[in-house]
Amino acid sequence: MNDTKKVLSFAVELGDILLRNGAEVYRVEDSVLAILNSYDITDCDVYVLSNGIFASADEVTEHASSMIRHVPMYPMHLSRIAALNSLCRRVCSKEISLEDAWIELNNCKNIPCYKSLAMIVATAVGCGGFSYLYGGTPLDALCASAVGAVLRLFLLLDEKTGHTKTITNVLGSIVIAVTALLFYLAGLPIHFDKIIIGSIMPLVPGIPITNSIRDFINGDYLSGSIRAIDALLTAFCIAVGVGIVITLCSIGGITL
Amino acid sequence: MCIQFIIQFVVAMIATLAFAIVFSAPKTELLYCGLSGAIGWIFYSIISTTLSAPTLGNVVGALFLTLFSRGLAAKRKNPVTIYLITGIFPLVPGAGIYYTSYYLIMNEMDIFAGYGLSTIKTAGAIVMGIIFGMAFPQSWFNKAFAPSCHKS
Repeated sequence: MNDTKKVLSFAVELGDILLRNGAEVYRVEDSVLAILNSYDITDCDVYVLSNGIFASADEVTEHASSMIRHVPMYPMHLSRIAALNSLCRRVCSKEISLEDAWIELNNCKNIPCYKSLAMIVATAVGCGGFSYLYGGTPLDALCASAVGAVLRLFLLLDEKTGHTKTITNVLGSIVIAVTALLFYLAGLPIHFDKIIIGSIMPLVPGIPITNSIRDFINGDYLSGSIRAIDALLTAFCIAVGVGIVITLCSIGGITL
Repeated sequence: MCIQFIIQFVVAMIATLAFAIVFSAPKTELLYCGLSGAIGWIFYSIISTTLSAPTLGNVVGALFLTLFSRGLAAKRKNPVTIYLITGIFPLVPGAGIYYTSYYLIMNEMDIFAGYGLSTIKTAGAIVMGIIFGMAFPQSWFNKAFAPSCHKS
């Protein structure tokens, strides 16, 4: 029974990493509860927000323990979620001891992202594809690919400077608009707005806004609000960046 | 018409696959992520062009995409999130959010309100599709796709 503290700290650490890499609130809650229950700790409460975890177990006994975690929002990393999910399942079925599970947890934490070159190519292909899907011509798609590659290059360089998300989004969308403008000024027969739409796809918070409504419908109103406000702020930053460039253009006498 | 849809299917699949890489999806699942995105998009595309009902298209697209993702999740023993998040990427109203805040900044309030409401409507429709898809019991998927393992 005096394992309570050990089990709880493992469960919360796993939940922390899940949440940090973009798992949904209900998945984190279920995982933490499942681990606690599999070790026969049933007197427990877990409350998860989109940027924090509160958990307590066995509050009335002498092994009472509780934990609070603050979890900042980071970019999504699906490989880690998959790895942690299977680890959680193995811990729950007691296939693996808690000590070994800690080692595995640290391995999961360090699953790398794809290489920079792969990220640049992927962003380029994705931006081009979406520009075409949202009504662009093949030429628009080609330009959007180039803009997407430039954007990813900028984001990779920007990671090292430690800018806040707000500044990164404004600068990133300025980069997009300026690069797209260069193609336009080169005299190609392209649709400026279709290129912009395709190439801002890596920045726009489409997934967060959808997830926030899912949170609302699941009854997690606070998590839903946090995500929605985050998404609106991001969208606002992007619009500011693109807006600056377009306003400067119209002052300079270039019609788009 | 038919060729148009085939092209769209392939492009949606490639684009979703590319963004799955950006979200660091596991290497072995990339193709399935692309496939789920393409399925969602093609249902949306067919319904919104033939019936000219984009909102219904979003609901149906998200529904089939959720069912497909849950089947894959049971079959390949991965969390459904991997296929679902990458799969809804083509459907999510990214462009709508951008236009909304763009027209707010440009001080064109009529267009801003229109885009804002349609964005919320689109996101709501996708969520409805996901909720309907999630309403089917997990045991059906386990029986249909992973008969050997009944644990979810």
